[in-house]
Amino acid sequence: MSDPKISSTSEPSGNVTGASIMLEEVTKTYPGQKKSAVGGLTLEIPAGSIVMFVGPSGCGKTTTLKMINRLIEPTSGQIVINGEDVTGMNGDELRRRIGYVIQAGGLFPHMTVATNIAMVPKMLGWSKEKIAARVDELLELVSLDPELYRDRFPKELSGGQQQRVGVARALAADPPVLLMDEPFGAVDPITRQRLQDELLNIQSEVQKTIVCVTHDFDEAVKLGDWIAIFNEGAQLEQYDSPERILANPASEFVENFIGSGAGLKQLTLTRVNEVELLGTVTTTPGKRASDVLSQIQGAGRKFAVVLDSRGRPLRRLDRRQLSRAEIIEGTYDPDLPVVGEQATLNDALDTMLVASAESAIVTGPRDVFKGLITVQTVMEAIAAANASMDQDHEAPVGLNSGAINVVDIEQGSSSGESA
Amino acid sequence: MSAERRGLIFQLLGIAAAFAILVIWLVTADLTETERQTLDPATILKYTQQHLEITLISAVIVLLIAIPLGILLTRPSVRKAAPAVRAVANFGQAAPAIGVIVLLAFWLGFGARTAIVSLVIYAILPVLSNTIVGLQQVDQRLVEAGRGIGMSQLAVLFKIELPLAVPVMLAGIRTALVLLVGTATLATFINGGGLGILITTGVNLNLNVVLIAGSLLVALLALTIDWVGRLVEQLARPKGLS
Amino acid sequence: MGDFIGERYRQILFASWQHFSLVVQCLILATVIAVLIAVLVYRNKTLAGIANSISAVGLTVPSFALIGLLIVPFGFGVTPAVIVVTFFAALPILRNAIVGLNNIEPTVVESARGIGMSRFKTLFAVEIPIAWPVILTGVRISAQMVMGVAAVVAFALGPGLGGFIFSGLSRLGGANSLESVVTGVVGVVILALILDLILLGIGRLTTPRGIRV
Repeated sequence: MSDPKISSTSEPSGNVTGASIMLEEVTKTYPGQKKSAVGGLTLEIPAGSIVMFVGPSGCGKTTTLKMINRLIEPTSGQIVINGEDVTGMNGDELRRRIGYVIQAGGLFPHMTVATNIAMVPKMLGWSKEKIAARVDELLELVSLDPELYRDRFPKELSGGQQQRVGVARALAADPPVLLMDEPFGAVDPITRQRLQDELLNIQSEVQKTIVCVTHDFDEAVKLGDWIAIFNEGAQLEQYDSPERILANPASEFVENFIGSGAGLKQLTLTRVNEVELLGTVTTTPGKRASDVLSQIQGAGRKFAVVLDSRGRPLRRLDRRQLSRAEIIEGTYDPDLPVVGEQATLNDALDTMLVASAESAIVTGPRDVFKGLITVQTVMEAIAAANASMDQDHEAPVGLNSGAINVVDIEQGSSSGESA
Repeated sequence: MSAERRGLIFQLLGIAAAFAILVIWLVTADLTETERQTLDPATILKYTQQHLEITLISAVIVLLIAIPLGILLTRPSVRKAAPAVRAVANFGQAAPAIGVIVLLAFWLGFGARTAIVSLVIYAILPVLSNTIVGLQQVDQRLVEAGRGIGMSQLAVLFKIELPLAVPVMLAGIRTALVLLVGTATLATFINGGGLGILITTGVNLNLNVVLIAGSLLVALLALTIDWVGRLVEQLARPKGLS
Repeated sequence: MGDFIGERYRQILFASWQHFSLVVQCLILATVIAVLIAVLVYRNKTLAGIANSISAVGLTVPSFALIGLLIVPFGFGVTPAVIVVTFFAALPILRNAIVGLNNIEPTVVESARGIGMSRFKTLFAVEIPIAWPVILTGVRISAQMVMGVAAVVAFALGPGLGGFIFSGLSRLGGANSLESVVTGVVGVVILALILDLILLGIGRLTTPRGIRV
C-alpha cells in the first residue's frame, strides 16, 4: 500500500530545450489584395515558453504562425530562430526542425500510428532501431500504451487519441519549436481539457518553445505564458502575460475580446498544482477489500482510490462498495472525475460539477496519481487569488512597425513599455 | 468488406459455371464442318490472345497518358486547365466507339494498331477523371500536415496524395478496362483481330452457334477482367481506410 | 462533305429522327422499368444488393456481344435493337434509383406515414419526388451511353445513324465513304448533346423547388 501523496507544486524539472524566435518586420501581402494579411509584425518569442496567438477569424494569426515554418512565405521581413536567419533556407529542411500540429492531429489515415510518428525521423535518416525506440518513448510521453497503439490506424483511435499522436509526431525529432494551429478545436470540451493538461505536463518535461493559435481566449489564458491578441492584419493589440491582460486590457478591442466574465476568469489563472491537495488512501487491484475498508475507516476517508501498476488511477471505491467486495477490482471507470495538475481551477470545478462529485482526483505527468482536490479547496483558492495580484515582470517585445497598415501603430505597440 | 468478398466469390463462380456450360454445349452440340473449324480451340485461343493483347496494350498506354496528366492537372499551377481537358475527354467518350474506330481507319489504315489508338482515345476519360477526382478529394489539411512536417512536394504526392487516391483511381482503371474489353470486340471491323470476329462471322455466314459462342466468350472475358479489377481494388486499398 | 449532306439531308434527318426516337422511347421504357424494380427492392437489403450486382455485371457485358446473342432468337431488325438499348439504359437508372430512394431521411418517410399517408401515397408524393434528381442523373448517364449503343445496333439492321457508319465502312475508300462515317459520328454526338440539354431542362422543371441545389 502506497502512502497518500500530497503535492502542491511541480516546478519544471528539465532544462529548456526550446529556441527563441524573433519575427522582424514580417509582412505578408497576397497578390491582388490591397491590405496586408500581416503588416510589419515584430514579435519576440522567448525560448521555452508557450505563446498563444488569439484574435477574431481572419485576423492573420494563422498566417503569422505558418510564416514561422514558412508554409506561407513572408513577403518581406525576417524570421530568426535561435539567432539564425531562416528566411532564406530550404523550407522543407526548416520544417523538419519545427514540430507542427493541426486540428485533429492531421494524421495520415493510411499509415499506422508508429509510421505516422516515424515520418520525420525517417526523413532525417535515423536508424530503424533508434526510430522504433523513439516511437515507443513518445507514445509513453503522450500517455498511450505503445504495445496497444503502435500498430493501430488513425481511424481506430478516438479524437483525443488522434490528437495525442499528432503531438507525438510533432515531437518526434525533438524539435526546439512546436507550432500548433487550433490543435484542440475538434474534440469535446472534457477531452479538450484533458489534452490541454497533458500538453502542459509534456511541456514541463520537454520545455519547448510552443506557438499556438486558438480562437478560445480561455484556452489562451490556461496554456499561455504569453498571449498575443491580434486585430485584423495581424495588428498586435496586446502582448503580455494572461494575468496582466486580464487585469489591464490595453484597448477596448482587448476588453471586448476578453468578454465581461473577466472577473471569473481569475479561476482560469490558478492551476491545480498551485493549491494544496488532499491525500487519500490508495490501493492496488488484488488487495483484500476488508483490509482497505479498515484503512479508510482508520484514516476517516470516504473512499479509496485504486491505482494500476504505474500509479495511474483506475477507479474509486466507497465504503459500501468495499464492504460488498472481497478483492479489489482492477477495472477502469471511465466516469472517474480526473484533472491534471496543470489544469485550472475552472477545469477542476467543471469536472466535479459534471461528475456530481465533491472532489476530483489529480494526476501529474503520465497520469500518475497526485492527490485530491475538493470544491472547498477551489473556493478558498479563488479568495486568495483575488487578494494577490500584480507582480512585476518584463514582457517580451511585440509591435507592428506597420509599413503598410499604418492606422493602428499607436494602439499596436507593446504594453511591455507600460510595465 | 465481407459483402464485397462474397460478391467476388459469386462473380467468379458464375463466370466459371457459365464457361463450363458453354464448353459442354459446344462439345456435345451437333456442329457443321464450318462451325467446327471456326470454333477450333486453338483458333479461339488465338482470338482471345489477340483480344487481350489489344486490351492490355491500350490499357497500358491509357495509364501512361491519363495518370500523369491527371496528376499534372491537380497541381496548383495548371489546375485551371482541368475543366477544359476534361471537356475534351468527355467529348471523346460521347462519340460512338464504332464511329471513332472506323474514322481512324480512314486515316491510319486497317489493323490492330489503329484499333489500339481508337481504344486509347475512348478509355482515357474514366482514368483521367478518376485520377483528378481521387487527388482532389484528399483532405487538403493532410497535404498541409505533410508539408508542415517537412516533406517535399514530391514526397507529399507519392506518400500521401497518391496512396489516398488509390481506391478512386483503381475504380476508374477498372471501368476503363471493362470499356476496353468490350470495345475491342469492334476491332474486327477494321481487321484488328480479337473475339469480335466470331460474332461477325456468325452473322455473315449465318452460323448461330458461332454467334452465340462468340458473344458469350466476349461477355465472359469482360466479366473476368472486371473480376480481376475488383480483386486488385480490394487488395491494393491502403489499410486504415474504411 | 457539303454535297453529301445537301444531297441526302432528308435521309440524314430521317435517320437522326429514328435514332433519337429509338433512344428516347427506350429511355422512357427503361426509366419506368428501373424505377419500378427499385421501388420493389430498395427496402430489402439483400434484394437491393442483388439488383445493384445485376446492374454492375450488366454494364460489363459489351453491347456488341449482347446484340450478337439477341440476333439468334429475334433475327435482324427493330426488336433486338430495342431490347439492347433498353437493357443498357435501365442499368444506371436502376442503380441511381436505389441510391436515391435509400438516401431519403427515414424521419421524412415516418412523418408522411404519421400524418396518415398510405404506403402508395408516400411513395408517389414523397419518396420518388425527393429521389427524383438522383434518378434523373442516372437517366442522363444512360442517355449518353445508349446514344453510342444505338449506333452499334445498326449492325443488327436497327434504325438510326449507325447505318451511315456501317455503310461507310463497307464501302471503305469508295465514293463518299468518309463523308458517310463522319455524318454518322457527328450526328450521334450532336444528338447526344441535344438530348442532354433536354434532360437538363426536364430536371429544372420537374425538380421540386425545395430540394434544388
